[in-house]
Amino acid sequence: MRARLQPVLVLTALLVLLVASVPAAQAQEGEMAGDMAASIDLVTLPSSGSPLVAVRLVFNAGSIYDPEGKEGLAALTGLMVGEAGTAERSYKELIDALYPIAASISVNTDREVTVISGETHRDNLEEYLGLLAEVLLKPGFQESDFTRNKEQLLSYLTTTLRASNDELLGLEALQQKIFDGHPYGHSPAGTVQGLADITLDDVKAFYRKNFTQKRLTVGVAGGYPEGFEKKVTGIFAKLPEGAGPSRRELPKAPEVEGRSFTLIDKDTDSVGIHFGYPLSLDRSDADYYPLMVANSFLGEHRTFHGRLMQQLRGQRGLNYGDYSYIEYWESPPFTSNPSPGVPRQQQYFSVWIRPVVPNTAHFALRNALWEVDRLVEKGLTKEEFELTRDFLVNYSKLWAQTLSDRLGFLMDSEYYGMPYYIDEIDRRLAAMSVEEVNRAVKKHIQTARYDAVFVTDDAEAMKEALQADEPSPITYESEKTEDILEADKTIQKLPVRPTAIEIVPVERMFEGD
Amino acid sequence: MSLRIALVLSILAVLLFPVAPVAAEKADQAASDAGKIFPFDVHQAKLENGLSVVVIPYDSPGIVAYFTVVRTGSREEVESGHSGFAHFFEHMMFRGTDRYSSEEYNDVLKRLGADSNAFTTDDYTNYYIIGPSAELETMMDIESDRFKNLEYTENAFRTEALAVLGEYNKNASSPFLPMWEKLRDLAFQKHTYKHTTMGFLDDIKAMPGYYDYSLSFFDRFYRPENVVLLIVGDVEPEATFKMAKKHYADWKRGYKPADIPTESEQKTRQTGDIDWPTPIRPHMMLGWHIPAFDPSSKDTAALQLVGQLLFSESAPLYQELVVDKQWVDFVSGGPDDHRDPYLFFVFTRVKSEDLVPKVQQTIAEHIGKLQKSAVEAERLERIKKHLRYDFALDLDSPGAVAFTVAEFLSLTGDPGAINELYAQYPEVGPKDIQRVAREVFQEPRRTVVTLSHKPAPQVPEVSSPEVPAGGGER
Repeated sequence: MRARLQPVLVLTALLVLLVASVPAAQAQEGEMAGDMAASIDLVTLPSSGSPLVAVRLVFNAGSIYDPEGKEGLAALTGLMVGEAGTAERSYKELIDALYPIAASISVNTDREVTVISGETHRDNLEEYLGLLAEVLLKPGFQESDFTRNKEQLLSYLTTTLRASNDELLGLEALQQKIFDGHPYGHSPAGTVQGLADITLDDVKAFYRKNFTQKRLTVGVAGGYPEGFEKKVTGIFAKLPEGAGPSRRELPKAPEVEGRSFTLIDKDTDSVGIHFGYPLSLDRSDADYYPLMVANSFLGEHRTFHGRLMQQLRGQRGLNYGDYSYIEYWESPPFTSNPSPGVPRQQQYFSVWIRPVVPNTAHFALRNALWEVDRLVEKGLTKEEFELTRDFLVNYSKLWAQTLSDRLGFLMDSEYYGMPYYIDEIDRRLAAMSVEEVNRAVKKHIQTARYDAVFVTDDAEAMKEALQADEPSPITYESEKTEDILEADKTIQKLPVRPTAIEIVPVERMFEGD
Repeated sequence: MSLRIALVLSILAVLLFPVAPVAAEKADQAASDAGKIFPFDVHQAKLENGLSVVVIPYDSPGIVAYFTVVRTGSREEVESGHSGFAHFFEHMMFRGTDRYSSEEYNDVLKRLGADSNAFTTDDYTNYYIIGPSAELETMMDIESDRFKNLEYTENAFRTEALAVLGEYNKNASSPFLPMWEKLRDLAFQKHTYKHTTMGFLDDIKAMPGYYDYSLSFFDRFYRPENVVLLIVGDVEPEATFKMAKKHYADWKRGYKPADIPTESEQKTRQTGDIDWPTPIRPHMMLGWHIPAFDPSSKDTAALQLVGQLLFSESAPLYQELVVDKQWVDFVSGGPDDHRDPYLFFVFTRVKSEDLVPKVQQTIAEHIGKLQKSAVEAERLERIKKHLRYDFALDLDSPGAVAFTVAEFLSLTGDPGAINELYAQYPEVGPKDIQRVAREVFQEPRRTVVTLSHKPAPQVPEVSSPEVPAGGGER
């Protein structure tokens, strides 16, 4: 429930969609393609009745491929391909060509992949494909585009993250903390220092090395004509073949020792909290699915029935929302569903406590930890399990309602080397028992070791309070049930026992020096 | 990753994306020049108690979008000290009835696996469920029940008020919120558009004490004459109307419209400045008063075109500021359609403090060009083509269709307003663009708000482009 604040942005983010439910059994088989270009992976999703066509290019060229000291290079290269001029036309001319057909080319760089995607009406397919080919094969690498795109990334770090969105700031800071020293350890947007040190030649070299057939998976979906797949693969077969492995081997995530806190010090009226730790599984693991059910019960993103949401917001009014995750969750504003296009080989468990007033921050953390502990200790009852499982089976079908999203989830599944994710949820959950769920919880969920990030004013005072770990009693302006008051007595003195607390002034975040 | 052989999931695909040829033809039609822009059949009925029901069959096997559009938003918050109440009340609508407690209501939705939420704007409040069409009657049952029989305690009310404060807090780290508050506060003196939908912070803090007021809010506005049910998806119109009658016919009339003050003309330019506590690139927001949304008026369509002429990515102004000179990170703008006269609005983030006056000057110059000389007809046609394709590309799911239609329902109560508006576009010519640009962009009707870390410079006087006689007073 929310107030709409952004008048002109209207409802584009809300085009929440729809998808027909697909019997799992019917959606498992793929067909081998014949005469495709040898080294390009292709995923197709034809639908002759659709007037739309979606094209999606996934390059294994995310920020884990940034050279040390050049953090942000993958993202900047992505922008120099998708949001810049070509050898044949300026960026303005490219925009002018896309504008009348209301088509766009969007670029998103995450930690492992850079996705370049777009959608067009089939009336304009030839024109659109021509532009996409030009963009990918003949980037212009002009100095003025380089300056503009570099500034965009810099501004994202210094103005958007540091000064305009405490929740995104906390989310990025938690990932950097959990994966400190790991290739995941910096934002895909880079660092201030890394960006400063990137030259246009670096971008050209990164493009040559990483935007290759070997690193590419192409996806097409919708009402495209016969022979279109062949045409598309033919076009991208003009990219260099590429050398070396198609995907980087990643070291294991660092071991989390104790409970390490990062307090980001900034002038803000409320306190945003994230905590979490690495998980050694992803969508292709059997344990992922029972854990998915447990996590949905604990804190399904932007729903009202998660335990965290009910207890922290619904019963106690501590804040606007409280959720938990078993993988990285990229969600544009206002949407409740996960976004495709951010596959990662290594994931993490996390809890997101949306901003609370400062004098309840300690209590809110304890309350969330207590709920996680209760989940581990008591597990789900059979009824809770069945309700949550049934919910997820139906709800997950709403995640891939548009052509682009469906294609995105299909390509993510390719990345994980598994069948179509939405069907896999169906299949795995149908055969699941409550015992499996509770066993997976005991194996993977805990509160003894985690990293936590607070975005807070007066970090010194917060540090003292956390270190002292004194009881943090809470008072309410309205009557509460006996159950709540009784639970509060335990929660308010739940030991947090931080093992390390670091204060970082917000101006130091993402500096990279 | 090994070099995997290409997969062609053709069998899968046909099953996964079952858009029927009929729907496809219809969506094609939306993009074509001829015919009505809205490609789907719209079925409407009105119950005796005044409740409008709009049903739009859409080929989405098994799925339906169920929207309840209450034509009350923060626009109706006429009593002082109660800004933000429409939005707060939206939260209270989830606090249960005698039949379904809040927990039971959530459990029903959870069992359906539905995507459900609500939001409030200046002009309306929308409650939506997207879920299985086989459960349409369940949706009708729980939704009609809470609209007729909402029942909550003062304790629940007080607790929920804190969640609203939490929502304000989560928004408060964005410079957009205070700028938006300031712009509206300066641009409006009497009309309730003076405050944002979130409301003033002091009013939000006082919310826990207004339990009785909340009951009267429900009594006045949550009435069938003020609500439209909008159902899009795999449904049959006649059966749906019948079902609606069964569940909603006993909902009692009693809507009491708020007496919303008329804004008087802004006679002098307003400026505001905000000091941001964290180092930040300077932001600027501009607003000019515009008439209320009117789908039968050429001017409403002309203003949309002006928005594109100035602020689309392909616009010369956008190109100059973002791509060529690179003075701003982004700039966006356009008319924000409202039930009552509102604002044409511009928002931009500037690279550095010294560029703020230059950016203002550049925006003024481009506006001046639109006022001085007629825009090329060819450029206008490109924009009209863009708008048609953009509209067609957006109608790709029942939820997307429902969100689009809900906007128009909020503005006019009539889904026919979509076709009516789009029928205006072919009529708008270069002279209309020039005329509305002269009428709207007048210096005394402008409001400017800047935000920066250091004290911002005084907003400089920008020389006004000359306007020929009879063309307004800019």
